[in-house]
Amino acid sequence: MSYAVEFDEVSRSFGAVRAVDNVSIAIEEGTFFAMLGPSGSGKTTCLRLISGFERPNAGHVRIFGENSENLPPNRRPVNTVFQDYALFPHLNVRDNVAYGLMVQGVDKRSRHGRADEMLSLVKLGDYGDRKPAQLSGGQRQRVALARALVNKPRVLLLDEPLGALDLKLREAMQDELKALQKQLGITFVFVTHDQGEALSMADRVAVFNDGRIVQAGSPEDIYQRPRTRFVADFVGSANVLSPALSQSAGSAKAWHSLRPESMELAKAESGRLAGTVASIRYIGPVKRVTVDLGGDQLTVAVPAERTVPEPGTRVGLNWSDASIHRMEDE
Amino acid sequence: MVASHQGLAQRVSDAFWRRPRLLLLVLLLPPLLWLGVVYVGSLFALLVQSFFSIDEFTGLINYEVTLKTYAELLQPANFDIILRTTLMAASVTVAAAIVAFPIAYYAARYARGPMKALFYLGVMLPLWSSYLVKVYAWKLILAKEGILNWMVEGIGASAVLNAVLSMPVIGGGSLSVSYIGTFLVFLYVWLPYMVLPVQAALERVPQNLLEASGDLGASPGQTLRHVILPLALPGIIAGSIFTFSLTLGDYIIPQIIGSSRLFIGQAVYAHQGTAGNIPLAAAFAVVPIVIMGFYLWMAKRKGAFDAL
Repeated sequence: MSYAVEFDEVSRSFGAVRAVDNVSIAIEEGTFFAMLGPSGSGKTTCLRLISGFERPNAGHVRIFGENSENLPPNRRPVNTVFQDYALFPHLNVRDNVAYGLMVQGVDKRSRHGRADEMLSLVKLGDYGDRKPAQLSGGQRQRVALARALVNKPRVLLLDEPLGALDLKLREAMQDELKALQKQLGITFVFVTHDQGEALSMADRVAVFNDGRIVQAGSPEDIYQRPRTRFVADFVGSANVLSPALSQSAGSAKAWHSLRPESMELAKAESGRLAGTVASIRYIGPVKRVTVDLGGDQLTVAVPAERTVPEPGTRVGLNWSDASIHRMEDE
Repeated sequence: MVASHQGLAQRVSDAFWRRPRLLLLVLLLPPLLWLGVVYVGSLFALLVQSFFSIDEFTGLINYEVTLKTYAELLQPANFDIILRTTLMAASVTVAAAIVAFPIAYYAARYARGPMKALFYLGVMLPLWSSYLVKVYAWKLILAKEGILNWMVEGIGASAVLNAVLSMPVIGGGSLSVSYIGTFLVFLYVWLPYMVLPVQAALERVPQNLLEASGDLGASPGQTLRHVILPLALPGIIAGSIFTFSLTLGDYIIPQIIGSSRLFIGQAVYAHQGTAGNIPLAAAFAVVPIVIMGFYLWMAKRKGAFDAL
């Protein structure tokens, strides 16, 4: 298996701030790779190290096996879909898409032909003559995608490309991006702070915090078996059980994570743990019931149609041994 | 008293809040009157004057509408003045754009904090001193005994300067009595009016557009040509409106520095003053307005304002 992008102990500092701190990753060719993390966690800087807008202070970034340190952005086989699209306001949509071909010296007829092809690929075939300002957010996003793809990059970088879209559009674009990646077969490196987006689209996910990768793996790995409290909390807000609580529930004396949907409410006396219902939050398909254990709080996801005890009621909590996961935190 | 005064202020403020257009009217009326009466009115009076003619024998104004005065503009002596002034204004504008762009680019893209303050100070400082002082200072700098000549001699480049000065039309006895001198002083005096709008335009070009251009494979030169220049163009046009029209209308610089041939401003001054030929002076004054109108029309047609 060959790697599209490799980070070899890469660090990048801005003054005293270590934005990227000794990161090593290998991104296999043809995968949909997500970099997930809160803002300021270094994921965007990693993307910019691949595109060439930042250079590492230490370590190497290899693109298809070649050291990229001395390669300016315009000579790298990667293209970027920018966070706020960065469409050229003075060019119409067709010329925006054809820009990459124009700077290569492709003549007007063939570059406009190719641009129109790309525009129909993103379902904007009739919009070539418009200016970016005349398009909606979702349409601009597609133009940015077409513009980045027209050069036939071997790696497509996407910097929070769906962040500015509303929920419905975002979900539709997620499906389209995933389908497009399958169809083109090229590597996608996708930066996002939205864990749902990362888990649903990516083949592999790297979770960033404070400039480091805290866990990399398949979406299932990350979700089911978070390595640290940070990952458990950031990816889908799992319950975190302190060593003491874990011990009283019959597990080892260590930090554990437990998914809300893996737990069930039971009678107070028959649960592994018992507490009082503190609050109930209705969020569409499930109710999130927060149970107070005298200091610690755990959340249980209950199917919405089921009736749950009133706040103040004493309840027990149960789960299967397979669903509790021990973490590495000390 | 205070309470009732507050009450009145309150009532006025409430009235403005209820009728936002009233506030707009109150705010706009004085400047609109100023522009309408003082500016457009005098411009119109000027325009009217240019359609009268002067009686050659009595020297009195003949108040009959005629194009005779405009025909006079086309006489070789007058037309030369127009051509000379327009060419000078065009060269000054082009040179100002070329000199200003790197300065403005540096200020917009790289200068931060104290460097930015220094930039503004550097660009604005010359505007704080009197125009006449600056022009006379330049006369001394450019004179045959001046510092520039002395420096050129010092580095042994007198031959070059003499070769330049011996060129027909633009040359002369020394820099201070040649068109080159006039050009240099115009360029210096109007440069801030080019730098500031270009800097403002460049400041509005988002960094990520430059990155997008590079990302798509454009070399820095191509990014300059295809992204930065088109987006800075409205600023350059704005600056050129200043440099072009200020040069077209100026009558002091060519009088102090340069060959003694007339520019439009000097012609207007001479005709309305000593010669008493108000119609011809007015016709001359209309020329820069027409040229500027034509220039803006061309700029719009060429899409210079598309990026606005």
